[in-house]
Amino acid sequence: MPGTLQGIEACIPALRRYALALLRSRQDADDLVHDTLLRALDRLHTNREDDVRPWLFAIMHNLFVSQLRRARTRPGGPTLENVDEGALGIAGTQEDALRSRDVVRSLDLLPPEQRVVLLLISIEDLSYAETARVLGIPVGTVMSRLARGRERLRQIMRGEAPARPYLRRVK
Amino acid sequence: MSETERVISEDDLHAYVDGRLSSTRAHEVELYLQAYPDAAARVADYQAQREALRAAFAPRLAEPLPSALNLGRLIEARLARRRAPWRVAAGVVLAFGLGGAGGWILGALPPRGIPALAREAAMSYAVYVADPHRPVELRATQRGVMIRWLSRRLDRTVAPPDLSAFGYRLLGGRLVATERGAAALFVYESNHATRLAVFVRPMAARDSTRIKLIDVGEHDGCAWIDRGAGYTVVGAEPYDRLLGLSRQVRKQARATG
Repeated sequence: MPGTLQGIEACIPALRRYALALLRSRQDADDLVHDTLLRALDRLHTNREDDVRPWLFAIMHNLFVSQLRRARTRPGGPTLENVDEGALGIAGTQEDALRSRDVVRSLDLLPPEQRVVLLLISIEDLSYAETARVLGIPVGTVMSRLARGRERLRQIMRGEAPARPYLRRVK
Repeated sequence: MSETERVISEDDLHAYVDGRLSSTRAHEVELYLQAYPDAAARVADYQAQREALRAAFAPRLAEPLPSALNLGRLIEARLARRRAPWRVAAGVVLAFGLGGAGGWILGALPPRGIPALAREAAMSYAVYVADPHRPVELRATQRGVMIRWLSRRLDRTVAPPDLSAFGYRLLGGRLVATERGAAALFVYESNHATRLAVFVRPMAARDSTRIKLIDVGEHDGCAWIDRGAGYTVVGAEPYDRLLGLSRQVRKQARATG
């Protein structure tokens, strides 16, 4: 157990980062991490790997998806549009900051199923196989969502794509 | 491209962006990108995207952790919920009737004999064994030091039993306090990350008892008195396994003592 618990503890900063990237509000993000940790502690026996990271991200993903479902059926609930401007801790030069803000805003225009793939792979450094396990989809689907997500993000940032927001749809 | 080269796929381009290709394959992709500027421009954009995303959320990692996300506190809160002190006490009362522990609950003398062992085990289990980080003072790697130290403090030879036949490996040991002096606590862990505790304490009682089932709150346990020492075994195991483990502990303790 100590190995597992230490592994979980070591993942908390990354879980907070991923949750913030998903929800964009610090408080909502930390609430999601909190729920994830509680569920992980209740289900320690369901983890069969040495590396607890994919297992934790899978728990968080499932909670996130059910949260979105609830929000959809409950008007006035938290939405992905309530972007906490201060949520983007942006360091570096001003140019970096502009580019970061830009890419984050553009990210909102991606369908959620592409967005989560992009975040898990680009930011959290999960392998393609791990991402497939976290999301419960085949690796081939991960690859096609990654390719479509990156290409769409590229077009948006070049001003080539219609800025049609996809904020709620999640498979 | 020569015919001997494998075709570069879209997946290869993304694996290249994510640094997931072997150096050989990455080199092949680079040759391909030199030949196809459109693909090269696309890959460069993907790389910039990736870096921008990482930069945007990197500061989050350095943020101090709010106490609501402190794993130790979450575990404590969970344990407190499951094993409120009155529940431990109630469990002991249920197991032993009002004769032994009842007197203690009503504010008289602390329990003696096996009820005392059960109570000490419940407290030590909650405080030490449930601690995810430092359940023990001396690790199993310092077995010799641990045996000498605990034996000196308990004034009798105590050694951690070998429970590997039951799938438990020793994490280590520590000294714990009881109303009647020092006791030794050995902590074990299985491959399924479940923990098992073995307590040993010298006892005034000279009579030996049978191995008895005790209730230590969240878990079951076994306790017995043998040749001037009290023993308790506590873990998340069914009673028949605990009984088997206890018999093994008793057998090895007799061989040591």
